[in-house]
Amino acid sequence: MASTDTCFHCALPNPRGCDLTVEIGGRERPVCCPGCKAVAELIRDSGMSNYYTMRDAPSPGVGKPPDDIAEWQVFNSDEMLQAFADVNPITAEATIYAGGMYCSACSWLIETSLSEIPGVSSVDVNPITHRLRIRWLHENLGLGDLLARLSGLGYQPQPLAPDDSSRPEIAEQRMALKRLLVASLGMMQVMMFAVGLYAGDFQGIDADMQRFLRLVSFFVATPVVFYAAKPFFVSALRGVVARKPGMDLPVSIAIGAAYAASVYATFTNGPAVWFDSVAMFVFFLTLGRYLEMRARHRSIDRGVALSQLVPNTATRILDGERSVVPVAQLATDDVVLIRAGESIPADGIIVSGTTSVDEALLTGEAKPRPRTPGDRLAAGSVNLDAIVEMRVVSTGNDTTLGAISRMSERARFTRPQFVNVADRIASYVVVALLFIATAVALYWYLVAPERAFVITLSVLVVTCPCALALATPAAFAAAGSRLSELKLLVTNGNAIEVLAEATQVVFDKTGTLTLGKPEVQSVQILHDDYDEAECLQIAAALEQASTHPIARAFRSDGPLPVVSDAENHVAQGASGTIGTSQWRIGNALFALDEPVSDEDSSTVIYLGIDGRKVARFEITDALRPDASETLNTLRSMGIKLSLVSGDNAGAVRELARSLNIDDAHSDCTPADKLRIIEALQAGGERVVMVGDGINDAPVLAGADTSIAPGHGALLAQTSADVIMIGESLQPVTTALKLSRATLRIVRQNLTWAVVYNVTALPLAMAGMVPPWLAAIGMSASSLVVVLNALRLNRYS
Amino acid sequence: MSILYVLIPLALLILGAAVWAFFWAVGNGQFDDLDTPAVRILMDDDKAPKKDNDE
Repeated sequence: MASTDTCFHCALPNPRGCDLTVEIGGRERPVCCPGCKAVAELIRDSGMSNYYTMRDAPSPGVGKPPDDIAEWQVFNSDEMLQAFADVNPITAEATIYAGGMYCSACSWLIETSLSEIPGVSSVDVNPITHRLRIRWLHENLGLGDLLARLSGLGYQPQPLAPDDSSRPEIAEQRMALKRLLVASLGMMQVMMFAVGLYAGDFQGIDADMQRFLRLVSFFVATPVVFYAAKPFFVSALRGVVARKPGMDLPVSIAIGAAYAASVYATFTNGPAVWFDSVAMFVFFLTLGRYLEMRARHRSIDRGVALSQLVPNTATRILDGERSVVPVAQLATDDVVLIRAGESIPADGIIVSGTTSVDEALLTGEAKPRPRTPGDRLAAGSVNLDAIVEMRVVSTGNDTTLGAISRMSERARFTRPQFVNVADRIASYVVVALLFIATAVALYWYLVAPERAFVITLSVLVVTCPCALALATPAAFAAAGSRLSELKLLVTNGNAIEVLAEATQVVFDKTGTLTLGKPEVQSVQILHDDYDEAECLQIAAALEQASTHPIARAFRSDGPLPVVSDAENHVAQGASGTIGTSQWRIGNALFALDEPVSDEDSSTVIYLGIDGRKVARFEITDALRPDASETLNTLRSMGIKLSLVSGDNAGAVRELARSLNIDDAHSDCTPADKLRIIEALQAGGERVVMVGDGINDAPVLAGADTSIAPGHGALLAQTSADVIMIGESLQPVTTALKLSRATLRIVRQNLTWAVVYNVTALPLAMAGMVPPWLAAIGMSASSLVVVLNALRLNRYS
Repeated sequence: MSILYVLIPLALLILGAAVWAFFWAVGNGQFDDLDTPAVRILMDDDKAPKKDNDE
């Protein structure tokens, strides 16, 4: 983690020529920017260097020095306090979303450093939901101060409206825990009384004592049935109403019938009670459901990606006066001022000013779009060139960004096709079982009426297709949670199934096989008065004005010549005056006023003075460090590889040669890429597209499934089914391997469930299985399935 | 054996108290995060550098 070319704090590569360091643990550690430096120093000076040894993942990059606390001051007002916190006369309590929180070390860091602020009385951090609940004395300490502190640690804080703390997952988890506890304690108690009753059957028992033990069992089993097992009854009823009986129907019938018969026997001194079977059955069912729910909740919180796009504050213009307000306070028809470089806080229409905006995050279009008065701006896009004033049209969840975030939120809850099919099959099985049970009941009623009830009960319990219904979702949930631990975020449940069957992987080039970070590869001097170092300095100075990704190739921290009237020309280059000469940098046409036709392998940039050539730069994009290794692994797995790129033929050929890819396509438009993928699919291949989503959104959607590197255009990722975090390309192979393992487990589970049911059913029908054994058999078969699925959690 | 008529109801009372306590703890958010507490004990609050700065 502490290598010299990556940042000690955020683990991103350090820019060339950057020599910022921080002393931690007795050594100088390199960092990538003043922001990370400030954060690392803050962490060290607060005595929390331990964070760096405890964390699981690199911290979020910072970008700008976080000591810019003015932005947070607006949250110190009373109004803000009322809006975002539950306020008592003395204390206030607020829920804050902290974007960029990855692991337990983060939650420890936040908790410790916030608790140190005088006036803070309690901090609860939940790293899973990225939320923290904080209570403090609001007289001397404002909400803004707390947010500023969090921001200072490198997180992206966002205060949440009070009702947001009652998140559905939390409520669901709490409820499930309570039910599990009632079921488990109830089961233990009832079993204990059952031991007494069974012993009594063998060695004789007082009639009074027997009645007493049955009564006590009844008291304990009642909450187990009516509280812990309530979800089964509710879901069974829903299934019946919807005419799609699920596996909860036989479960409910079994629980209900056994309970009712036991209650009847208790109060009429009948021959037997089955409270123990009922309680055990409910406990194991609840346990299975709980494990499955935990795995499901571990999937990602898409809010992380989205919260970073919209700024926290906006500059509102009211009666000619500017004031900084939180974005949450913006209303329709407010006029806001947006400076160059700022993110757009809401959807709106430009009222004055002309600029260009970067909408890559929303549309996947990398080129800046010009925008003039009357044009629409979308929240989350970035204003690149000039100050504009915008009239707000919609805010918050009503914006385009809000709609996209809801879409991706929904993706979390969609169930894989596979699971739906399994459910449908389970519902046929259920109907069949109900018929079988009725037939068994009739048969035994005619043959031996006193045994009919017990045997029917056993049949219902033993054949409950729980294992069948749990087989698939349990494996998928476990795989999803393991994938997210392995830095792969699954946004579409179907992805795992498709990945397992993939036969062909198609890679995009820029930002996927390469890092998407351009560097100057060679400089050719075309003018006698200048040398290479001078040209690079001039280029760096001119490119400061540019927002194009290529400009980053020239970034330098050394002293630069002073440029006057620096100007950025969208899609062409940058220009400026140094001394008395007019300089231009960019493509040949722009910099030299002449078309130059020697475009070859790399991207070529020219530097010109007063229309004459000075230098020619070749820009290349470095390969991801483990690209070739990853491709070799994929090949050894029997996967065919292709490369599609919008780049020119030379660059693509060179890359394909160095990586040994035979099937390479260059100069592709998104439509071309889509055609290539469709041609492969027509040839019977299952195609996985790996691309960063810029310009690629339809291509990602067109492939059978898609993987996007996490640094790419964030929202374009919503069309990708899997997102990989970090610099490495290796997660692609992990995803494929784990998906194959998942399908293997699903097959094992289904086989087991079918074998179990087929074996147990005739035995139960023959009356050879007492209810308690049926409950154990059924529960054990479900647990085997769940535990088998949980093996995926340890997959590496 | 008649002592059971006292002991079992007593056990049930204690069971009830335990369930109540657990429900209270769950409602209080104590079981919302089951991962952090496990590693918290491993982290020292190394305050030393701060004291150095204060001096």
